[in-house]
Amino acid sequence: MHIPDGFLSNEVCLMTAAAAVGAVGYSLHRIKGELADRTIPLTGMMGSLIFAGQMINFPIGLPVSGHLMGGVLAGVILGPWAGCVALTMVLVAQWALFSDGGLTALGANILHMAVLGSIGGYAVIAAIRRRFKCRIRGTVIGSVIAAWLSVMAAAALFCVEFRLSHAPGEFRFRNIFTLMVSFHALIGIGEALITAVVVNVVLHHRSDLIFGLRTEASQSRPLPQFIGAGLIVALAVAAFASPFASEFSDGLEAVAERESVAATDDGLPGVFADYDAIPLGDWQSLSVSAAGVVGVLSIFALSLLMTRGLSRQPATQLAGAAPRE
Amino acid sequence: MSDFWDRYGRSVSPCHRLPPLLKIGLALAVIIAGVTIPFENWPAFGVLGCVVFTGHSIAGIPLRYLLKRLSIFLPFIGAMAISLPLSQGFSHGWELMLTIVCRGTIAFLTSLWLINVMPFAQLLVTLRRLRVPAVFVAILAFMYRYVFVVWDELDRLRTARKARSMGRTSLLFRWKSLAAMLGTLLIRSLTRAERIHGAMLSRGWTGEVHWLDDE
Repeated sequence: MHIPDGFLSNEVCLMTAAAAVGAVGYSLHRIKGELADRTIPLTGMMGSLIFAGQMINFPIGLPVSGHLMGGVLAGVILGPWAGCVALTMVLVAQWALFSDGGLTALGANILHMAVLGSIGGYAVIAAIRRRFKCRIRGTVIGSVIAAWLSVMAAAALFCVEFRLSHAPGEFRFRNIFTLMVSFHALIGIGEALITAVVVNVVLHHRSDLIFGLRTEASQSRPLPQFIGAGLIVALAVAAFASPFASEFSDGLEAVAERESVAATDDGLPGVFADYDAIPLGDWQSLSVSAAGVVGVLSIFALSLLMTRGLSRQPATQLAGAAPRE
Repeated sequence: MSDFWDRYGRSVSPCHRLPPLLKIGLALAVIIAGVTIPFENWPAFGVLGCVVFTGHSIAGIPLRYLLKRLSIFLPFIGAMAISLPLSQGFSHGWELMLTIVCRGTIAFLTSLWLINVMPFAQLLVTLRRLRVPAVFVAILAFMYRYVFVVWDELDRLRTARKARSMGRTSLLFRWKSLAAMLGTLLIRSLTRAERIHGAMLSRGWTGEVHWLDDE
């Protein structure tokens, strides 16, 4: 998920870096008021924790293994602003210690994981938590959905940045979009699963550590939450809707492509010449929708499963656990 | 473990003796040049590669270390870049894929040079000199200090888990135990942060960061 140097053009790198500096600067400003003198130990420790946590490899079955990204986890524990700063620290340290993720792409990486993950993810959690009477159940369901959405949103945003980085017409953008989004729908399930189990463990033992449950007053204002939630939902919806929409509106591009394909591949074997004639469009929309449906269904099942364990105990007992300060 | 991470940061070479700002400037110049070269000028990739390798050899970073890091990096960027021709039905996109792999590799090796000739502490001081906010640098320093402590804690949890679950276990069980381990690590770390905060308060901490070179 860490974008290396070379994928994005210099202009896009500058744009994302400016956006990242703005978001992190504002987060730093907010946590100075929120955490006061606890800012440095809490945020720093969360950074080291996510850093170490990303090195735990979760087996997938094949020789492949995945790891946590942690944006939503940091957001649900520390709140949106401190979570964003903690994730930024992780990304800076990973570059400075391992050369992991590019230097010019650092802004984009911060935007995807810290800003979308923590601030956007927390906005989703807060929006969902308000719908539930039991705040604990709302937190778990919210973090499952937020974790999945944040991965999808990051993938979608990467596609947009990639599109901006390269000359239009060079590629069938829709295909890249399809591949990235269907792939990340599956990755997102892993992220949601890990986040949910960890949040569950913390809720069982130290529910006072969770940001929104600590004090009622420290919740952020509703307006920024609404904007953040709107953004993340819009990105996810765009991810699903775009293959269908572009079926119809991309006529011009399709014509240009057919022209260029016909012009270039006279030397190629017939397979490639026929390639454009196969109604690929149907297959692509289908694969995105299938990935989406599988994703949504498994996320739904996951959140139900996670809350079943919780409902066995009276929620008031958990919420009433004496906060240790 | 710290020895594994910045093993060559403390050695002595002409590269290590350069002023920190010059090191960052040089690395940034090479990276930006690397990511701007268009595919048509591909010999420039070779020239830049030679420059980077010369830098590595002057800094005394062994080839074996570079190959080891490249063996992790190249499959990763390769897998990311192959998705371009894959998404186009393997008809085109190979050129862009090659460009991305070349650019990425050169930038990766340059970053590797920079982090191996500049210890983390020096980076912190340089960031401060570049007028990065004091809180940002202090959090980064705190994180670097405690990442080793958290890592040791994780190691203890791993040893305990290995001792309890002998031999092979099912995939589901491993996921559950790994996630529970992460949760335990989180609770322990945040409890530690609370203790550290208490200790800082008892030593007169007010929340203001002071740097020796500020005054």
